Amino acid sequence: MCISSLADVHNVTKLKSSTAGRAETTDAAFPAPPTRTPHSLQALSTLRKPANFKENFMQSRALLSRLPLIAALMLIGQPAIADDDLKALRAEIAQLKQAYEQRIAALEKRLKDAESTPAPVAAAAPAGKVSAGSDFNPQISLTLDGVYFRDNKKGGSVEMYEHIDGINHSHEHEGHDHGGLERGFNLRETELAFSATVSPHFDATAMMTVSSEGDVELEEAYFDTRSLPYGLKVRGGKFLSGIGYLNAQHPHQWDFVDQNLPYRTLLGDHGLLDTGLRLSWLPKTGNWYTQIGFELLQGKEQTFATSGEDTPTERADGNPLAATAAGELSSAKAGPRLTTLFMKFGPDLGNDHALQFGGWYARSNQHQEVHDHTGENPAALVHALEGKGKVWGLDAVYKYDAGGYGGKGDFKLIGEYLRLNKDLKIAFHENGALVGQKRDFTQDGIVLQGTYGFLPHWQAGVRYDATGLTKNDIHGPAGKIRDYGKSDRWTFALTRQIDHFSLLRLQASRADLWVEGEKEKVNQIFLQYQHSLGAHGAHSF
Amino acid sequence: MKRLLLFLAAFIALPVWALDVVATTSSMGMLARTVGGPQVSVTELAPPDRDAHMLQARPSMLRALRDAQLVVAVGAELEIGWLPAAIKGAANSAILPGRPGYFEAAAQVPLLDAGQAADRAQGDVHPAGNPHVSLDPLRMATIASALAERLAQLDPASAAAYRERAKHFAAAVEAKLPAWKRQAAGSGGAVLYHKDGIYLLHALGIPLHGTLEPVPGLAPTAAHLETLAGKLKDKGRKKGVIVHTPYQPPAGAEKLTSLTGWPIAVLPIDPPSGANADDYFALIDRWVAALSK
Repeated sequence: MCISSLADVHNVTKLKSSTAGRAETTDAAFPAPPTRTPHSLQALSTLRKPANFKENFMQSRALLSRLPLIAALMLIGQPAIADDDLKALRAEIAQLKQAYEQRIAALEKRLKDAESTPAPVAAAAPAGKVSAGSDFNPQISLTLDGVYFRDNKKGGSVEMYEHIDGINHSHEHEGHDHGGLERGFNLRETELAFSATVSPHFDATAMMTVSSEGDVELEEAYFDTRSLPYGLKVRGGKFLSGIGYLNAQHPHQWDFVDQNLPYRTLLGDHGLLDTGLRLSWLPKTGNWYTQIGFELLQGKEQTFATSGEDTPTERADGNPLAATAAGELSSAKAGPRLTTLFMKFGPDLGNDHALQFGGWYARSNQHQEVHDHTGENPAALVHALEGKGKVWGLDAVYKYDAGGYGGKGDFKLIGEYLRLNKDLKIAFHENGALVGQKRDFTQDGIVLQGTYGFLPHWQAGVRYDATGLTKNDIHGPAGKIRDYGKSDRWTFALTRQIDHFSLLRLQASRADLWVEGEKEKVNQIFLQYQHSLGAHGAHSF
Repeated sequence: MKRLLLFLAAFIALPVWALDVVATTSSMGMLARTVGGPQVSVTELAPPDRDAHMLQARPSMLRALRDAQLVVAVGAELEIGWLPAAIKGAANSAILPGRPGYFEAAAQVPLLDAGQAADRAQGDVHPAGNPHVSLDPLRMATIASALAERLAQLDPASAAAYRERAKHFAAAVEAKLPAWKRQAAGSGGAVLYHKDGIYLLHALGIPLHGTLEPVPGLAPTAAHLETLAGKLKDKGRKKGVIVHTPYQPPAGAEKLTSLTGWPIAVLPIDPPSGANADDYFALIDRWVAALSK
């Protein structure tokens, strides 16, 4: 370990500003290496770790090469230095030089000895470096993701997936999506993640994506506490909510190329991603793993938590609003407007089996939507709704670890059910008589997926997902107003883990989607590659 | 009544053991039990029948780590794929790396293959050094004494007992070493599947002639095995043994046997779960016997 150049600069500055004794300047130029105790010569003679010789040797070398510099610096700012002082100084430097030359010779000899014979194990444990993290600080990782894509709709299936009939259909999302695909080759988003320990009290993580067009999105940027007692942890910033099982996973952790239907249609492409605070607690529950989490989130641009929409003042088709228009949206409530509560339980089933199931609930105290379909349909009336949104879900994960080579025989099963409800009232309508009327939106969805390692490094996956599984409708004061259908899909994936850091995946899916009231049979095929560079990140369960 | 209450209070206040220890592998579990004795209760996370490097974090691990006062890990990135995530998820500040409650065996001893380039073109390399220190009884003795110091720091009341047990373990290693070395003296060397046995080879002066993996983490290829067999032939190596663990596929070893005629030994690199020092020495005995054929 050499003394870093930054430290050098720092020390030089220190020297420049130092008017104190020479002993101090020598110390300053020879800082103790961090995390290791400096060894005296005596301690050195009992040390038997080559790394330490090298280190001490390098340090001495570094110091020696800097002696003239030190001398020069000592002279700076002291022009009126007396000749006697100069002589004394030279003598002192010569002495120092001699001492170090001797020390270096001794060290070189020891280094030779140490390298020529296998190191006997020292009786005293050397203070080695704990490698729990890694040499990368911050840990940086980059994931490359590309797909070759074909479908049976001349590329139109991407659009169809964007417009699956349901209660959030007209809720236009700003921002990017994970599926702006065209037929043929596509570079999907490149994920860039940084994480590090900030201090004994905090860890921090930032994760961004860069699209092939160069759009950068800050997906997540949060801190985690490290040192709270009683199994408590606080996370703050922008992060993926802890609800469900798949919500917190990034695309590079997915077993399939694309986001599942219930998440996509009920929560949006990213799942529930928002800014705020999370408090999680791991109570002591014997052999059972229990986690309880509570989040206060801003409620920004979620499918069931959006605020600050403007009352419409014109129609999309360019015509003025009808004279009968009435009502208005209220102003945005102060955040946090969205709260979530989640629980996860996992019994201890030994080394081969792992099971976790969870339940969650999320609720927003304000949600606003503006509907203006006059662009497509001039007969439509512009209106805006306001109220509250809530979602609940259940999730279960089972993993079987066969202990085979390359994941052979491993089996994983994931199931999630989600149900979204928006309890709204008409706040503004071109037909003013309707203002104040109730509109109750409900839609649910399910995803069931399994993967099996049928050969070392080969994995087969099957997924069934559906949205509008048992409910996909809108109720008014007099009963059901709209009923959208159930859209569902079967997906098959074949994944080849080329090595620890690269995979190839072939995926085919057949879906029955309701789009604009028509049933569409949509088939898609993907061939995907993924490569992870950088830190060897650990993945949670 | 008062006496009964006092009796009950004493009963409640007397812990059965002082320290709740979580060990990542059965080797580390063996060490924690050997040094900690009755003062510790040990939970092992990775079973010995599978690759500790490829394990995934499980909720039950988080559960065990939640209450742990000390984690005894192998380190040098062996558990990098799951332990950091499990520790992070356990919300237990006592066992965070850098705290007294986090102990890494590989950090207590000099490592082989340290300082390699952090270049993934060379496979799944560990720049910190080879993490598989647990098969070297001498290094384990050093680690035992470091572990005793750590236990003493966490539980000063039993410090002397910890140090005494670590000394006892080291003495047992010292006593067995000459016989192991004698037995290994005639060894023709070994080919390992992965460099997971090199510390023992190194300790006993047994030459390593190569690995079945072309680079760490990549499965053996026919071309690589033929090259390896060619090298062995050129050097006139008539005698030697091919070693792989129960969880490494046998095909590569079988292929090399067909090319060289060397016998195959299937040996675990960790003792059984819940092992004591004698089980560990029995594992070393097995290795030495196989390598000396």
